[in-house]
Amino acid sequence: MKTRLIYFLPSIVSLILASCGKDNDPVANNITLHFNNTFKNTTIVLGGAASATATVNTSAKGQIHHFSELKYVISNIRLVKVEGGEIPYNINDLDKGATVVNQSKPQTLDYVLSNIPAGEYKQIKFGLGVRADLNTLDQVRFPIFYTEAGANDTKMMWEWGAGYRFTKIEGFYDVDHKQMSIHTGSTVVGTNGDPDSYTQGVDAYRDITLSFPSHAVVGKNSPRITINADFDKLLSGKSHTLSLKSGNDPNQHEDPNATYNDATPNTHTAVQMLRFVDNLGGNGSSDISGMFSVTDVEN
Amino acid sequence: MKRLLFIVSILLFLSCTGEDTLAPVPHDNPEIALRIPDSFPPLNSFVDRNRPTKYGVELGEKLFHEKKFSGNNTISCASCHRQSNAFADNEVRAKGIYGRVGLRNTPPIQNMAFMKFYNWDGNILQLEKQPLVPIITHEEMNSSILEVIGKIKTEQEYLVLFRKAFGDEEITPDRIYRSLAQYQYTLISANSKYDKVKRKEGTAFSESEARGYRAFKAKCAGCHNTALFTDQSFRNVGFPANPSSEEAGRARVTGLREDLMRFRVPSLRNAEYTAPYGSFGQFPTLKAVLDYFDEGVVYADNLDPILKENGNRIPMSEQEKLDIIDFIRTLSDEAFVGR
Repeated sequence: MKTRLIYFLPSIVSLILASCGKDNDPVANNITLHFNNTFKNTTIVLGGAASATATVNTSAKGQIHHFSELKYVISNIRLVKVEGGEIPYNINDLDKGATVVNQSKPQTLDYVLSNIPAGEYKQIKFGLGVRADLNTLDQVRFPIFYTEAGANDTKMMWEWGAGYRFTKIEGFYDVDHKQMSIHTGSTVVGTNGDPDSYTQGVDAYRDITLSFPSHAVVGKNSPRITINADFDKLLSGKSHTLSLKSGNDPNQHEDPNATYNDATPNTHTAVQMLRFVDNLGGNGSSDISGMFSVTDVEN
Repeated sequence: MKRLLFIVSILLFLSCTGEDTLAPVPHDNPEIALRIPDSFPPLNSFVDRNRPTKYGVELGEKLFHEKKFSGNNTISCASCHRQSNAFADNEVRAKGIYGRVGLRNTPPIQNMAFMKFYNWDGNILQLEKQPLVPIITHEEMNSSILEVIGKIKTEQEYLVLFRKAFGDEEITPDRIYRSLAQYQYTLISANSKYDKVKRKEGTAFSESEARGYRAFKAKCAGCHNTALFTDQSFRNVGFPANPSSEEAGRARVTGLREDLMRFRVPSLRNAEYTAPYGSFGQFPTLKAVLDYFDEGVVYADNLDPILKENGNRIPMSEQEKLDIIDFIRTLSDEAFVGR
């Protein structure tokens, strides 16, 4: 009996080890996306017109500005494995896969992706805004996101466009603290998000691709990935270098002497909006990161 | 045993009758033939996907007048779209819940089945897509579609109508949108004096109406043409502009600079009933509109070529203006507005 046990001992030990190994390496774990909204390297502090504590930024054109409100929608999240292949994260479900990042609500700055398959990841892809096929304010399909976006302290619905606002920035510019207010969203009309079917309007959704500085390893660990959104890019982006300039002519909402780089400080329609969209979310071709970068992966 | 069988069969019978009362009634909901007036443009292709039916229209009409669509049960579609005003109103800018004032003048609802674009900026191309906007808009009804459904599903009358219109009692957003559109597709106005003259029904224009018609054809029909009296294009005609940052005209939707402050050419049918005029009610009367065109409009790079070529104005004599207004009044359809 003793000898027989000895024969079996290695296999018993290895069995135990194997089962231990399994316990220590779950097949899936969480990833936390931490959004750090900055002007260049400084995390933004919001504030009213005369705030002494708000973070003030200076644009490439020398225009000072600060924000009192800062919100944007993240959706369509996909994680790219080191060996290739994408893990989509509830990309067709706004309730489970989309969120409103709101600088005034700290709890919205961390978005937890649950049940991500174990493995090593090298990239993240996500959308700034909502894909056209899901951007229909469908309260029945996505009641949680609808409520979150429509809340009185969030106001991320573009009512007349029957879609969501993708970004909402309120703030002040120049030394006399003139009001700036920049809203983006889609007005595109078509079926099922198929660009060939678009008959009118603009698509303000932008697909972002970001590479990690080091691999995110999901398994025993639940990595925390810091995504930097640098709102310095709003006026001083890769696509456009803009000056905020208020129109003198109420009939055109534009200064008749405005140059191409002069942008209206109050953008609530599709007019001029795409320049801000491209600066924030990239132009979809040569720039697929916009204001975003991954600055840290903590495994 | 026999007795048991008897009881069982009674029970079966009862359960059957019980089910019968719950089962949908035979679905008898005939399509309504749309009476398409002579020389009207073709139907919007979306109408074919949602043809008006007897009970769909009945339900749509009831929903159109339903104040529970608004957060505090005070505003229905019909609050701003009043039949006596050709389903527009006489407000400068639309007035919604709590007296909140909207961005623009309420457009009339008439001949919608023949329109390619809806609203001043044409943001909506399919009528079924429109109702959600006023329901959720802060200045209009300030509600949500599930809030609306929650309120109306407690009313037996609605359950009956949804069953008649769609085969069962389920109230869905889509069914609400479809029935509202079906009702609006039936709102066809083509029985004005103008129509009767054109159809040679024994009526003739008066002298001033006839003079007005000639002047209209020379000075207005470049844009206000076809049997709808709009070519359904978007134009900047240099009206005083709405100073709101929310307003950009057609460009609000397209983002194109050349569309800045362009608006859909409005139909002139029933214009007599829809004062004031302009995208945000700039003009109290038809005379004020014509005076403005005569005196000269605001210049813009994308001002309509017809105006640019005429020194930014449409010159008209006082007599011509009065005649043109007399002609426009022949487009009034008294039966349509229930007067």
